[in-house]
Amino acid sequence: MTETITPADHNAIRDRAAIVGIGETEFSWDSGKSELQLASEAIKNACDDAGISPHDIDGMVRYDSDNNTETMLVQALGIKTLRHWESIAFGGGAGNATVGHAAAAIAAGYCNYAVCFRAGNLRSNVRLGQARGPERIPGGSRSFLVPWGAMAPAHNFGMFVRRYMHQYGATSRDFGWVAVTLRHHASRNPRALRRKPITIEDHQRSRMVADPLRLLDFCQENDGAAAIVMTTPERARDLRHSKTLVLVEAAAQGSGPSIDGVVFRPDLAVAESAHTARDLWSRARLTAKDMDAFMFYDHFTPFCLLGLEAYGFVPFGEARDFVQGGDNIRFDGILPTNTHGGNHSEAYIHGLTHPQEAVRLIRGTSTAQPPKKQINRVLSCSSTAQLSAAVIIRRG
Amino acid sequence: MARKQQEEAEFEAMTRPLEGIPLPDLENLPDYERGFWEGTRSHELRIQRCSDCKKYRHPPSPMCPHCHSMNYEWPGTNGQGQVYSLVVVHHPVHRAIGEKEQVPYNICLIELEEQEGLRIISNVLDVPQDEISIGMPVEVTFMPTVDDPNVVLPMFVRARSD
Repeated sequence: MTETITPADHNAIRDRAAIVGIGETEFSWDSGKSELQLASEAIKNACDDAGISPHDIDGMVRYDSDNNTETMLVQALGIKTLRHWESIAFGGGAGNATVGHAAAAIAAGYCNYAVCFRAGNLRSNVRLGQARGPERIPGGSRSFLVPWGAMAPAHNFGMFVRRYMHQYGATSRDFGWVAVTLRHHASRNPRALRRKPITIEDHQRSRMVADPLRLLDFCQENDGAAAIVMTTPERARDLRHSKTLVLVEAAAQGSGPSIDGVVFRPDLAVAESAHTARDLWSRARLTAKDMDAFMFYDHFTPFCLLGLEAYGFVPFGEARDFVQGGDNIRFDGILPTNTHGGNHSEAYIHGLTHPQEAVRLIRGTSTAQPPKKQINRVLSCSSTAQLSAAVIIRRG
Repeated sequence: MARKQQEEAEFEAMTRPLEGIPLPDLENLPDYERGFWEGTRSHELRIQRCSDCKKYRHPPSPMCPHCHSMNYEWPGTNGQGQVYSLVVVHHPVHRAIGEKEQVPYNICLIELEEQEGLRIISNVLDVPQDEISIGMPVEVTFMPTVDDPNVVLPMFVRARSD
């Protein structure tokens, strides 16, 4: 582990940016639309939600894997002057970094209204879970993976899962409780692609895809887009959701050593995001106990367990007990988790739907809104990824 | 009976490298990766090692991530190790894997004896795939690929007990 280099009291973005709008397109298996159209629709919807015009946007934080460039969107949206733009590498695990960076740009005064977005035909166009070829590999980490058949995310992340199971005694059935719970949340969400409830037996009967990962451990691959609009808290008070101020309290990003090629790193049973978690809590001066809900990047269900441990909700090795039966992580439980249904059952928009759901929970508009408690603080994060990111989103 | 046979077939041992999937372009590799593939053609598992601090590293890279030396060497290893983690792939994600009915196949992360944490990706052959487990002792063997006999892959088999 590297030393924390950020002083614990240094959190220059604290409460200096507000999330004022969220929007998305319909999620589908085949949108029949261009990716530019998807991005345009999601951003327009987020602006409508905020009560601003796309003409007001002057900052943009995109995923570097997104096919929509800044120039395309400046033109499509009629943006007058783009004052600030950034691209975040490694979507998915780093998806929350778009929110952190936009918050920093707002706090620095680089722009008035920043938009984060991800748009893609991630099913009907190029699928992340499929390998293409034939081709020759010009060296690099892929040439030490692909010739033996390690070609898809499940192959690499399955290595973590197997090792985690070995180290802590977790079982496929434990992961099944995550699947059952996320699907239960999606069953209440009209946006979700997979709404039919499943049982633990359904999970255990689902076919092995990349043992130890079963079909019902996987996220979706789908088409769609999501967008988030941010501005200063002062401007937020004049916008549509002025009664519920939603602030970015802290953000962090991190990596561990030996990250190229995913599996070539020291300990596969511990989520890399332990680094991210330490910086996040240090900056925020908070701990997992202060969080009212947990939005984690669910590319595969087992990473719920690794995330609960990496961020300190439970000690290492105890997440399997915590998720048992699903009660604790259900929307009406101790730690409402992915109340939208997540990548697993709602839709896979490369991790951007998680901070969106954090906003809904604080507004009280989630389709799986916790009935008995007000949600004041939400952690939106990723657990294992090459580069991971997290944000704390709170009620102002 | 048919069901039992089917279950047995499900986990039958892998016996050779996969076919029809992307291979390294041996003509156009960076210099610091060539030693590995030259080694496998000589049926030797050579792993890149820093000439100065003597730490192994894999996959190969131009600079030692420990002492930042640019000097490296390609010592042969004894080819012994154990399975650190594994995945058994049942769903083909590449067309050639499906068309040639190459599932299930295993992908194993093998920890080599030479240094703690020194691991390479390979396949374990000649072991029913439901019997491969973490900690299993294995040793290297070498097989050319069907698609390009110049690409020789290090594969692993159960270590012979002495």
